[in-house]
Amino acid sequence: MRANYQVNSGVRFQMLSDDQLQEIFESVLHVLEYTGLEVHHEESVSILKEAGAWVDGKRVRLPSHMVRRALELAPRSFTVYARDGNPEHDIHIGPGRSHFGPGPTCPNFIDVESLERRPYVKSDVPLVAKVVDALPNIDFCESLGTVNDVHHDLGATYEFAGMFPNTSKPIVAWSYDKYDSEEIHKIAVAEAGGQEAFELRPNYIHYCEPLSPLVSTQDALDKLIFAANHRVPLIFTPCPIAGGTAPITAAGIIIQAAAESWMGLTIAQTLQPGLPFFMGGVLSVMDMSNMILAYGAPELSLFMAGITELAHYVGLPLWQTGGCTDSKALDEQAAIEGSLSVYFSALTGGDLCHDVGYTESAMTGSVFQLAMMDEAIGYSRRITRGIEVNEETLAVDVIHNVGPNGHYLREQHTRDHYRSEFFYPNLCDRRNYEEWEMMGKQTMSDRVVSRVQDILATHEPSPIKPETEKAIEDVLAAAENRVKE
Amino acid sequence: MSETLEKLSTAILEGDSAATPGLVQDALDDGVTPKTVLDEGMVVGMNEVGDRFRRGDMFVPEVLMSAEAMQTGLEILRPELASSGVKLIGKVVLGTVQGDLHDIGKNLVGMMCEGAGFEVIDLGFNQKPDAFIDAVKEHQPDIVGMSALLTTTMRAMGHTIKSLEEAGLRDQLKIMVGGAPVDQDFADRIGADGYGSNAVAGSDLAKRLVGDG
Repeated sequence: MRANYQVNSGVRFQMLSDDQLQEIFESVLHVLEYTGLEVHHEESVSILKEAGAWVDGKRVRLPSHMVRRALELAPRSFTVYARDGNPEHDIHIGPGRSHFGPGPTCPNFIDVESLERRPYVKSDVPLVAKVVDALPNIDFCESLGTVNDVHHDLGATYEFAGMFPNTSKPIVAWSYDKYDSEEIHKIAVAEAGGQEAFELRPNYIHYCEPLSPLVSTQDALDKLIFAANHRVPLIFTPCPIAGGTAPITAAGIIIQAAAESWMGLTIAQTLQPGLPFFMGGVLSVMDMSNMILAYGAPELSLFMAGITELAHYVGLPLWQTGGCTDSKALDEQAAIEGSLSVYFSALTGGDLCHDVGYTESAMTGSVFQLAMMDEAIGYSRRITRGIEVNEETLAVDVIHNVGPNGHYLREQHTRDHYRSEFFYPNLCDRRNYEEWEMMGKQTMSDRVVSRVQDILATHEPSPIKPETEKAIEDVLAAAENRVKE
Repeated sequence: MSETLEKLSTAILEGDSAATPGLVQDALDDGVTPKTVLDEGMVVGMNEVGDRFRRGDMFVPEVLMSAEAMQTGLEILRPELASSGVKLIGKVVLGTVQGDLHDIGKNLVGMMCEGAGFEVIDLGFNQKPDAFIDAVKEHQPDIVGMSALLTTTMRAMGHTIKSLEEAGLRDQLKIMVGGAPVDQDFADRIGADGYGSNAVAGSDLAKRLVGDG
């Protein structure tokens, strides 16, 4: 028995001190109380007023006790379930657990056959979901694109209808407004077996995005209210840009983003106490020569680490960002930017890390970037898992038994642990030169392309229920009718 | 009968050293010839091990377990093969060359060659050219395999080949080389007949060198 013995499981990473976190936290409360936000949503304004907010037209200020209460109500740990009951695809949110997945709504896509950039279309959705389903280190699904070849109000509905049958990993669903939120929910509920069953085992997460600086929009709050009323786990994530729509300093952008996200939190927890809620958002810099939101900037990783620490300080899970790049190609820049942000995100233990597979500053989605990052995530996870120290791993007896000039390859100890102790790459090449030459001198990007094409040719996701297939048909037919009127 | 051989090849594939000797005995008791037990049972399993290793579906510790299972089976089978006059596919003399104390890789090549059906004579490590010459004269092998881990000792492989030539023994055998710093180019330069980059590649090479692969 060990006594008075401290164990560190995994690699420890902390940037901000408790004093700094407290100062940032108090500053967020201050912004919400003294500056307030514009809330472009009458129902939300009256909900907030009723609950104690100070309202002046659209301007809503939250006394800090309201925000503190909302933070108390939101859970730190909960589970989002695989639609097919496969426990390996469940996502357990809680301290020390990080998960990864793609992002939504890029206008373009890298075609999986021609490898050329072109507009994202409906038939890309199932391919992305299939690749997500097959990759071992990708945990949740988004589509990497906005469907361009359907009615302009129905992109999100078609997107969910295309993803849901092709992966049983939980989906993070965005939508345009409350109408398609409802359509998406009908599909998920059909598979779950009704609203009550869904509430016990939610199988998707709803994503809403307020506006920076300091505006809660009509659509974002329509969607938030829909999710809260139906107990759909919720992400409320602004996308402030340092130097453009947010202060240029890291501490400043973190404070503003938290204020924007916690306005949503307060409304959601007032309506539905205990609703699983992810704090956002995507925090990065405006590139001052190209005027873009940089997805490969080191500041993105730094800002995201800071806001993750704030989220965990107040007991909320965080919607992290990583695995993305400003590069236009599957090249060295994409590998550097993507891998470093994935690794940094893993170190923070940020709960759901999205935008894996974004290229060209979120203008183009790429399953190839996604597949390359799957390897970087596996690599990062091996490092963050850390070093286990116990009788078995100390191996003092094994060292004694093998002795000088022996070897460990035949030891039972080696056999017991070689699978779990090492990371086995799927894409990184460790062959000798001759073998590599014989295999056609493939580069990383060659191997990424063939892995993706192999997955698309062979991977079979578990099927949805027949009643869900029917529900999808009905939802799509009704949606087409909705936009005709 | 074929069911026992199938179980035997599966036991080899799964590295089941406990089950293998019994299955070899069962097959012999059923009247299967020792050569059939070897070729259609054990070697089938070992070939699958090699295929899976090359594909990256099996790792070295598992390959070793299979090679060990193969050895437990061969202990039963070897006297039967000898008494029925069956020759193994070839004989290999292995050693780490002069000045080099590393022999894990060479040991693995030996186990894999036994698994492939060779008789293996292992000279150990730090072996002078004369030790190789004596062993060739004594055992009359088909193949001499040499290994070195260090860039400083790899040239001793060239010296050993030269000594074998001077002793007039070079023409009667094939020479294969391996070890971390060795590559095909080096093997060509010192006049070896082949190079293997790992233990499985080494036993594949041995099979090719005796015209059985």
